Amino acid sequence: MDVLIQLVLNGILLGSMYAIISVGLTLIFGIVRVVNFAHGEFLMVGMYAAYLLAAKFGLHPYASAIPVVLLLFALGALVQRFLIQPLLSADEHIQIFATVGLSTALVNLALLLFGADLYSVPPSAAQGSVQVAGFTLVKGQIVMFVCALALVAGLHLFMQSTALGRAIRATAQNRNAALLMGVKVDKIYVIAFGMGAACVGLASALVMPLYPVTPTIGTYFVLTAFVVVVLGGMRSMYGAFFGAMIIGLVDSLSGYYIAPDLKEVVYFALFLLILIFKPTGLFGLGRGTE
Amino acid sequence: MSLHDSSLKATPTAPTPGGLSVLSRLTDPRVYCALIALSLLVIIPAWSGSTFMVHVFVTICVFGALSTAWNILGGYAGQLSLGHTVFYGLGGYTAALLLTHFGLSPWIGMIAGAALAALVSLGIGYPCFRLRGPFFSLATIAFLEVVRLLSIHFNGVTGGSAGLVVPLQIGWPWMIFRDKINYLYIAFGLLVLSLAVSYAIRHSRLGYSLTAVRERDSAAQAAGININGVKLWAMAISAALTALVGTFHAMYMTFLEPATLFSLATAIEIAMFALIGGLGTVAGPLLGTVLVVPLAELARGWLGASANGLHGFVYGSVLVIITLTLPGGLVGTFGPFVVRLIDRLPGGGRTRADVVAPATKIITGTPGEVVLKAQNLVKRFGGLTATDNVSLTLKRGEILGVIGPNGAGKTTVFAQLSGFLTPNAGTIEILGPDGKWHQPSAPDAFARLGIGRTFQIVQPFGKLSVLENIMIGAFLRHRSVDDARAVALRVARLMGLDDVKDVEAGTLPIGGLKRLEVARTLATEPSILLLDEVMAGQSQSDTLKMVELIRAIRDTGVTVIAIEHNMQAIMSLSDRIVVIDSGKVIAEGKPDAVVRERRVIEAYLGEDFVDAQGL
Repeated sequence: MDVLIQLVLNGILLGSMYAIISVGLTLIFGIVRVVNFAHGEFLMVGMYAAYLLAAKFGLHPYASAIPVVLLLFALGALVQRFLIQPLLSADEHIQIFATVGLSTALVNLALLLFGADLYSVPPSAAQGSVQVAGFTLVKGQIVMFVCALALVAGLHLFMQSTALGRAIRATAQNRNAALLMGVKVDKIYVIAFGMGAACVGLASALVMPLYPVTPTIGTYFVLTAFVVVVLGGMRSMYGAFFGAMIIGLVDSLSGYYIAPDLKEVVYFALFLLILIFKPTGLFGLGRGTE
Repeated sequence: MSLHDSSLKATPTAPTPGGLSVLSRLTDPRVYCALIALSLLVIIPAWSGSTFMVHVFVTICVFGALSTAWNILGGYAGQLSLGHTVFYGLGGYTAALLLTHFGLSPWIGMIAGAALAALVSLGIGYPCFRLRGPFFSLATIAFLEVVRLLSIHFNGVTGGSAGLVVPLQIGWPWMIFRDKINYLYIAFGLLVLSLAVSYAIRHSRLGYSLTAVRERDSAAQAAGININGVKLWAMAISAALTALVGTFHAMYMTFLEPATLFSLATAIEIAMFALIGGLGTVAGPLLGTVLVVPLAELARGWLGASANGLHGFVYGSVLVIITLTLPGGLVGTFGPFVVRLIDRLPGGGRTRADVVAPATKIITGTPGEVVLKAQNLVKRFGGLTATDNVSLTLKRGEILGVIGPNGAGKTTVFAQLSGFLTPNAGTIEILGPDGKWHQPSAPDAFARLGIGRTFQIVQPFGKLSVLENIMIGAFLRHRSVDDARAVALRVARLMGLDDVKDVEAGTLPIGGLKRLEVARTLATEPSILLLDEVMAGQSQSDTLKMVELIRAIRDTGVTVIAIEHNMQAIMSLSDRIVVIDSGKVIAEGKPDAVVRERRVIEAYLGEDFVDAQGL
């Protein structure tokens, strides 16, 4: 029983990392209606940035969260403005290829610049663990859990009670109607894409103390993030949050009870089943495949 | 009777010889230029004699073949698979395992691998084709990842991450050679095979059907295309070809590991070459490969390991630039221009000889017999009952007008009569050509039984020419491209579209689009024609022509049911009128009787008007 509780706790904490990444992906998909295949590479860029800030200036990754979030916001906004915006009215396959191309270019640019070696920041307290009622919790993961909750709460407040948040929601629901109401839709898209990327910036600063960075780290995380987003119903931030928790649990439980190297098979299988049989997501919060 | 006459009046240009001989085809510059360009892929490396060159050209042929095979699904059918290396890996592992454990020649393993890949592709395609755009791509990536992880996990079979070395037996039966040039011959053969299959599909009924499905699936269904069926064909063919290449490539590398055989990066590269060259074109995928692969291979050759990542960076950047500047790819953008240049060469500029259209299907059956029975149809959308207990019968050879105010539910009834909506209750029975009653369940089955429908909101295949649009309809009754083209030409003349037949359909004005909608439906040679507001957007004179045309169509034995707001036209045209309001049939009868009914006037003009008129 104790093992099970420990696994559930691990799963929830792991899920909070996926939650932050997936909320970003959901923002971009829900508002700009573009599936960002380069999302994982944004994470990779953020992690290298956090690594460089630590290596050159001795900044703790948590302290580098602010510059990394700003950097990623700028990266996302630029990608939207100069890559996605010209393609908004293009065929869907062109949009897919554009972000796939960006993803390929970024992975290989990192490979050119940093090589295939693993880089990690100096060990810090974040890797340590605390004992709570006999269960072991990694401090860095607790931080992530708190941040994930804060992020969803903050975004909720922002979307519900600010003028910009309302404009974003209006744009997400009906682009043309929002345009007619005087919303600068193109600007909203740039902001939304930037915000989605900024979430990944936060994630990368929080992940950096726990995982080393490699050029392909993004692929590893982002495929999971896609699973989460589909589970959560594609457009819903809250769906993404709970989807992330479920994937965290599946990861932790199947890794123990089935086989560590098959846990991804389990959640990819889950992903395919959801995509095929319940495209509105587990909670029916979205309209995925439309 | 203009339906038949016009085809006879059209004088065929130049008498057509039977089949073109191979020799006369070879003198067509389009053919000889393509053959010369292809043969360079063998001549250049053979002439240079350098092993590195041979390797580069083997790589080009392999990726050209993979990309060409991918394009059958990704380009023609528009289903962007980003997990196509599943089939490549299956081909490789099947042959390698059969060789290792049973000593079977890889040539046999190649066939087995292709068959297995085709089978697996059907298993992937069937559930995934309901997903749209990026979600189909994501699902294919997920399948690839699952297969890769499983192949690592079951290392007893596959050798796992450590890999599997192919037993080294030299010679043609074992597909392993000391002299590298032999590899090139096989790779080139596979490339030619892929190109031939791709070319044949592009110029066949299947190719047109795939394009139709990619452009607009509802209109494709209305033209009687089984959309899942044609996509599954495309997927199976594409997967089998990919597996053939996979077997060869595994034997060429003599070493198999899941990371290379089931690689996501390779799957993306295959797709990107096709986009760079031109999606949905025959030559595009190969052209993209020829331009990009040498660039990357040469960079690797010159800069060595220090350029790790360079080729991927080049690929990614080229892809982004192409999406921004040449979304049609190289062939899509420059193809027509180059073809014009080639046609100026000796022997060029041939025009396709016209084929006399086959006779239209003769509609048999007794005039006046019931051909369609709809009973107690109910269709609800949430709380709204859009069709409320509607019953209709259609008699052979009549013109039935359906009128009613906006939002009355006329189009919803049509959608059920053509299979696009399934009623919540009630039945629709259609008298088939075999004289039996049928209850079809899918739109394409309705179309095959002879129901032709037009869409109120026009549904052209925007990127195809007007003639090709009509051909898609004609393919329902004619398998051969020449016959379909001839039928389409006849219908185009009938509908006054022959002077715009080569225009891209998306650029037609609304009046032309409405006529195209009718033309595509007529080309399916329906026995029951459902016309949904075809006169809207037509000029006065075009409306008159359309009325004449509908009469002429009816005179050939076709039963017509038309929704129309143009009262003058529909009243003069119809034998019988059905009035629908709020989902119910409120009146039915002869046109002049129906318009006098109090409930009909009320439905259109309101109770107040009826009272004021003292009716």
